[in-house]
Parts: sequence; C-alpha cells; structure tokens
Amino acid sequence: MQSDEIKGKIREVITQVTEIPGEEIGDTTSFTQELDLDSLALLEIGVDIDYAFQLNLPDERFKDIDSLNDAVHLVVTELATRERSARVA
Amino acid sequence: MSSCIVVTGLGVVSSLGSDVEQLWSSLLEGRSGISEVESFDTSAYRVHRGGEVRDFQPERYLRHLDPGSMGRASQMAVAAALSAVADAGLRSGGPHDPDPERVGVVMGTTSGEPREVERFNDLLVAEELDRLGPELATRYPNHVIAGQVAAELDLCGPNAMIPTACAAGNYALAYALDTLRCGRADVMLAGGADAFSRITYTGFARLGAIAPERCQPFDRNRQGMIPGEGAAVLVLETEEQARRRGARIYAEVAGYGLSCDAHHMTAAHPEGAGAARALEGALASSGVAAEQIDYVSAHGTGTPTNDKLETMALKRVFGDHATRVPVSSVKSMLGHTMGAASAIEALVCCLAIRDGAVPPTANFEEPDPECDLDIVPNEAREVPVSVAMSNAYAFGGNNASVLFRECVS
Amino acid sequence: MSARRDQVVVTGAGVLSPLGYARAPLFEGLLEGRSGLRPVEGFDTRGLALPRVGELNGDGPEQFLEGRSLRPLDRTGRLAAAAAELVLADSGFRAYYGSDEAESLPAGLVLGTMYGSVRTISEFDRRALTAGPQYTKPFDFANSVINAAAGQAAIWHGLAEINATVAGGTTAGLAALAHAADLLRIGRASALVAGGAEELCFESCWSFSRAGLLAREPEGPGAGTPFHAHRNGFLPGEGAALLMLETVTAARSRGAEILGHLTGSGSSFDPSRGQDGERSATAVRRAILAALKDAGREPADVDGLSTSASGSVAVDRAEALGIAAALGRHAAELPVTAVKGSLGEGLGASGAFQTLALLEAMSAGVLPGIRGLDEPEPELPFRLAGSSAHEGRFRCGLVTSLSWDGHACALVVEGPGEEARS
Repeated sequence: MQSDEIKGKIREVITQVTEIPGEEIGDTTSFTQELDLDSLALLEIGVDIDYAFQLNLPDERFKDIDSLNDAVHLVVTELATRERSARVA
Repeated sequence: MSSCIVVTGLGVVSSLGSDVEQLWSSLLEGRSGISEVESFDTSAYRVHRGGEVRDFQPERYLRHLDPGSMGRASQMAVAAALSAVADAGLRSGGPHDPDPERVGVVMGTTSGEPREVERFNDLLVAEELDRLGPELATRYPNHVIAGQVAAELDLCGPNAMIPTACAAGNYALAYALDTLRCGRADVMLAGGADAFSRITYTGFARLGAIAPERCQPFDRNRQGMIPGEGAAVLVLETEEQARRRGARIYAEVAGYGLSCDAHHMTAAHPEGAGAARALEGALASSGVAAEQIDYVSAHGTGTPTNDKLETMALKRVFGDHATRVPVSSVKSMLGHTMGAASAIEALVCCLAIRDGAVPPTANFEEPDPECDLDIVPNEAREVPVSVAMSNAYAFGGNNASVLFRECVS
Repeated sequence: MSARRDQVVVTGAGVLSPLGYARAPLFEGLLEGRSGLRPVEGFDTRGLALPRVGELNGDGPEQFLEGRSLRPLDRTGRLAAAAAELVLADSGFRAYYGSDEAESLPAGLVLGTMYGSVRTISEFDRRALTAGPQYTKPFDFANSVINAAAGQAAIWHGLAEINATVAGGTTAGLAALAHAADLLRIGRASALVAGGAEELCFESCWSFSRAGLLAREPEGPGAGTPFHAHRNGFLPGEGAALLMLETVTAARSRGAEILGHLTGSGSSFDPSRGQDGERSATAVRRAILAALKDAGREPADVDGLSTSASGSVAVDRAEALGIAAALGRHAAELPVTAVKGSLGEGLGASGAFQTLALLEAMSAGVLPGIRGLDEPEPELPFRLAGSSAHEGRFRCGLVTSLSWDGHACALVVEGPGEEARS
C-alpha cells in the first residue's frame, strides 16, 4: 500500500472518531495540542488504526503518536517489516 | 432533628471469604484474593489475573429462590443479604422484628449481570437465533439484583438500584440513609454486587488499566487495577430502633458527600476537584472536622492516576492531617470489586471502628512522592478508630465519600 | 421522623418523545389521540416479527447537540444530553445561571433508566467475539456502564452537582423524580434535572418478545392499549424526558415560572416479583398511601390519575386494582390517562412523560384520554376510562408506576398555585 493511501485511510479514521473534518488534520497537526484530543479518543484512534491495517501491536507502540505523520510512519514501518518477514518465510 | 442511622448487620461474598470475620482476619493478615482468571479464556489478552470468588455455592444460602433462576451478581447479593440479616438478628421471631413492609433494599452495581449479554452474543454470533432467550429482559436488567434480595427475604419496603459503577456501594448507602431519615422505611439493606465477566475484563484490558501481577495502590511502580467480584450488604436502621431490639451496633453512618466531575467519562478531574467536594460534603453533612478522621479507606485502585488524584484531594481537604491519618486500600488484596467495592469497604470501616485496627495496603515496595500518605504499608495496625471515611470514584465522574462514626450512647 | 423539608417545584421540561420534541407537541398529541407508534425503522429486527414501536421521528437527539463531537456519546447518552439541553432552555435555567465564562451550572442530574444502554454493552462484547478483545472500542466500554448516559449529560452541560442514576425496571423514571425531590427537600441540592432516558434496540425488543411481554404480532384489537379488554402486551418505545426540579426558594429567587409541585412520593415492592397479581396490587396500594401521606393529602383530594398501564395484561390490572384499593370508591370516578397508549412503553423515559401529562393538564384544564380505549376491561374500576379527554380543574394528581417484576412507585403532583403542606 502506498504511503498516500495509508495517510488517507488514517485521516479517515481520525475523522470518524473525532468528527473533525479531514481538511483540519494536517500532516503535522498535533493531536493533543491542536486537535485537543483526550486519552480516550487517542486510544480509540489507535485501536481503529490498528484494526484498519490488522497490525495487532501493543498499546505502547501508539503512545508517542501525536500527528498524522507519526501514525503513517508507524504503519508504513510495520507493514514493511511484515512484508520483509513474509518474503523471507 | 433526625435520629442517628446505624449499622447493625454485615454480610459479604468475597475472594477472601464469604464470612465476615474470615474476610476481616484475612485482610488484617494482608492475604491476597488475586489469582489466575479461570472463568473465561484469557489467552488472547496481555493480562491474566483477577479477584474471582472461588467456591461460592449459592445453594448453601438461598432457601426460597432457585439460584439457577438468577445471575451470579444476584446470587452473591442475596447470599450477602441473608448473612447480614442473620448477623443483625432481624428475624429472631421476637416482638421487635421489623415489619417486612418497612424493610427496604437498595443495591449498587456497575454492570448488573453481564454474563447474560455474553450468552446472548455467543448465540447471536453463532447465528443460533432460535436459542436466544428472554434473559436480557428477565435476568440481565440490573434492578433484578435488588429485587431478588427482596424476593428471597420477602421484603416489601422501598426497593431501588443505584447503578453508579465503581461508586455504587457508597451511593446505595447514601440512598439508604436518606430513605431512613425521611421515614420511608424502618430498616434498609444497602450494599453492592458485581460478578466477574469477560466484558468487564475486556473493557479494562482495552483501556490498559489492568496490572499484570498485583495491585499496588500508592506504590511508585503501580501498574493498574485488578478486576474482581463480590457482594456486601449492610443492615441500616435508626439507633433508637436498634437499641429497642437489643441489636449490636457496629457504627453510625454519619453522613455522605456526592459530587460529579462533569469532566470526562473515564478520567477524573485533573486536580481531584470532584473527589475533594465529595470529601467536603461528607465532613459537612456529618458535622465532623477533618482532624477527627482516624482512618480513610481509600478508593485506591492502583492506577497511576487515581492514587495520585486521591492523594491530592485528601491533602486539599484534610490539609496537614492528610499525611498523618492512616489511609489504606483493600483493593490491594481483593482487587477492584466494582459495585461491591465501596460496600465491602464500608464493612471494613465498621470493623475498623469495632476492633481498633486498620488493614494494610498490601504489595507496597517503593514510596511515590506524589502519594506521600501513611498508607499502612503491608502490615495491619492497631489504631483506635472513632471516625472512618470511605471514598469511591466511578466512570462518568460519580464521586462519593461516606463517613462512619463510633456510636456511643 | 422526617428531615427538614423544602417544597419542590417543576420549572421546565425537556422532551424527546414519539409525539414530538417539547411538552406542547407532546401534550397536544396526547389530547388529539395521535399515535406515536409505527413499524420499526431504526434497527435490523433480524427476522423478528415486531408489533409497532414508539420510535423517535426525524432528526433525533443530535439536532439539539451542537458544537462538539458526538462520537463519544451513544444513543442513550445523546437522548439524555439532548433532554438536558431542552430542559435547561425551557426552564430559563441556563439563561439565568449560565455565562460564557462558567463551565458549569449549579444543577445536578438524577436519571432513571432500565438499561443504560443494553445495545452498547452488547455491541462492545460482539466486537470482542468477532474481531478479538484487542479491537473492542474504548468509547463503547466507557458507555457500557449503566450510569454512562447520566455522566455524558453532566459532562456536556457542566452539571457538577449531585449526579445519580436510578434503575427500577419501568418505574425507574418515576423513582428518579421521587429521589430527586427527596434530595432537594433535605437540602442536598437546590436544582436537579430529573427524569429518564431509554433507547429502542434489537437486544431489548428481542428479549421482550421472547419473554412474552409484547403485544402479539400481527396486532389484534387493543394491542398496546392500556386497560383494553383484548390487550395482550405492550408496544416498546423510547425517548427521554427531564424535568427541572428546584426548591421553591431557588425558583422564586430567579423568577422562574412554576409549572407545579411534587409534593410527595412513595414506593413499595412485590416480593413475588410480579408472579402474584394480588401482591403487585398491594404494592401499588402501599406506594400510593405512602405518597399521599408524604404529601399530607387524603385519597379524596386526588382529582386525576396518570397511570403506567401499557397494554400488559397482568400489570395493567394490578395497577388498576391497587389504585382502587388505595383510593376507595373515589377511584372509580376519577379521570384517568395512560400515556403509553400513544407513546408505547418507554421504560425509563415513561415516568417523566406520565408526570408531564398531569402537569400540562393542570394548566390546560383537560386531561388526555387513553388512545384506542374503545372497550375497557369490564372488571377494572375506572368508570371514566376511555379515549375521550376529560375537562376539569386538576389540582392534585397521582402518577403511578408498576413494573412487571414487582416495583411500585407513586408521585403526587399538585398545581402551580397550590401551597403544599409540609
């Protein structure tokens, strides 16, 4: 999956959870400082992102995610790792 | 001027015993009621420990009702109620036995009977709709818990359910206090009950709130709470009536404070403001000064935030006295029994007053500078207790503190 | 011996009902005998043959909740928050106490509900079963506790005073009003928003059907009609209604319009949990007598009845017989209404709907009839029960509620001009 596609999907998740329109979620917009998201909303977003990409990651991996870019980076890295493992196996 | 309301009977079902004295001595010895969860498969979870009640046999208690006709929380509530009624000597057959029309029941719970939802879903997901029964109408609704208690005991007085989650036991006590003071009943059975369930466990696990091994309230390295289950019921009546029938009095329920954070569903107000208001309300309604408190039974769940905020609230309201008064959490031993928790903790306050002893906060290893209270670490202590405060805080921002006082005639 | 008592008055209402979203359209609909019942649209019945239901029309609670994300609130939470929004406006409470700076209002909330939301806790668990426990939704867990709706409404409006949730089957809403009135009288609060909320969902409707509680489908004559000779069960409904309750001192000090007084309440229990109709009737009788005593009134003072009858065979009968036992011969001549004939069985929401019917009747001089009641059960005591409205001067009304599993509750409601005896 391309990085842009991933970004679009994650942005969709955030909009779905928070009802914040996609246009207001910039690549580096801070979830906590600018979007004012609380811990429960962040947790819900983490769960939905994980579900969307079937990552099955422990919660700690999402702890420092504070922007769209952070989230995309996590997903891209994780998917790439799996792809590599799949090829090797 | 209303009469004092006193506690004359105690009953409990817990992971450390379903006999009040057995539970009490276990708590004073610092025993643990936490074990590996057995009631459902936790292999898909990252945590596996809970405070399940083992070997609870409802048929040993129930005489009129069939235990199979009700859910587990109801069974535990009825068992605890029967024990409390026996302890209070309400059915001695003598002339002072209260009229059943004037004996009411109020219970608190967090989830009611969630196993009924689990059964419903198991069938629904398996698409076995023809096997789906009426239980979500007949056994699940949480008010049946109070109803079953009254049904077993043939009681006709006011019957209510206050499902204010983890503070529900204290809310039930408050409701009972007011019901008695308003003259709506002569005796109230008040308490709380919650059964272990995969739904509750899953939810707290999903929130990352469950500790992997032990519950360590106020410890610097505390990892969270441990879900448990249980039930406790207290018998409340006027002091006048208690003395008239020669009942043994444990303590007076002197007052309470209720507040709402109105802040967040699962996170408390960041400065413990709501908790502080509940403490203030309890002191004000009892006419007691903070310095008179001899023991605090903390909500003390063992989560990083609760214990810190509870400390802040205590300091805010008690001032310097906050770091002098013994404050302990029996959740360190029983886990968090949800709606039963503050009912069990009310029982603890009554026994602390009776025996002049306070239970420890178990599993304590390293002090947390943000929780610099005297948490009675690891060992119970002999302390004369004339006044005890019990705190409970819940999802939805429901806060409740109840104050117990030695009843001296 | 009772604690010191202050009078409790009603200064406004917020309504989300199948007949409309304010007390005026609700009352007009009841008077005109309009039905809020229709084939279900809001959820998948999974092949269950359901009779008509009392579903909210149109845009639902969301239309009253603006400015913030609604995603954390489930439907029951939205119903409660929307009803609170409406009552805070209707009573003038927000206009008087609110300001741009103040984040909170000096009012609390007592919410009656049977389930909280059985749908939310079910969906939370179903997700665990189908996707795995790690993919359950945190928002849903927060809303799975029964006091969630009350918590959400308090957060939405900054209601930081006493917040309580009361359950009690179908009596929950009336029990919540009674509890709130007690809290005000003994000085635990000076203003409380009180009433109930309940949503219609597959889980509850399926279970009611399986339990044999619903009117049979296809519906025969008298389906869901209170006291009807051919009734055979209730029609499920939903909604929310919250009344603003204040001490008379607080209400007068802000110049609020007083709609009426809640002067007394009583509750009792049938230990057979509804199995023995006579014991259920006795519980109703006791609740009424306790309420009248609480209000300092006699049975002969009652001039109107707002019952919880829903078309349920045993429960309607037990309620009627209990009222007759409490009020004596006088009961037969009283105008009687039963709002569930138009609204369906709204569970936690019903108590406030029933109370509003009486309050509005007091100002309008007319009590709605019972929709569809062309053939009352002959053995029942109410000579005047029928679909026609009753004109008259209503000053001291009785609201009663009996659940199918033994809870009985009664509330005495008096007109705005009456000074209650303390």
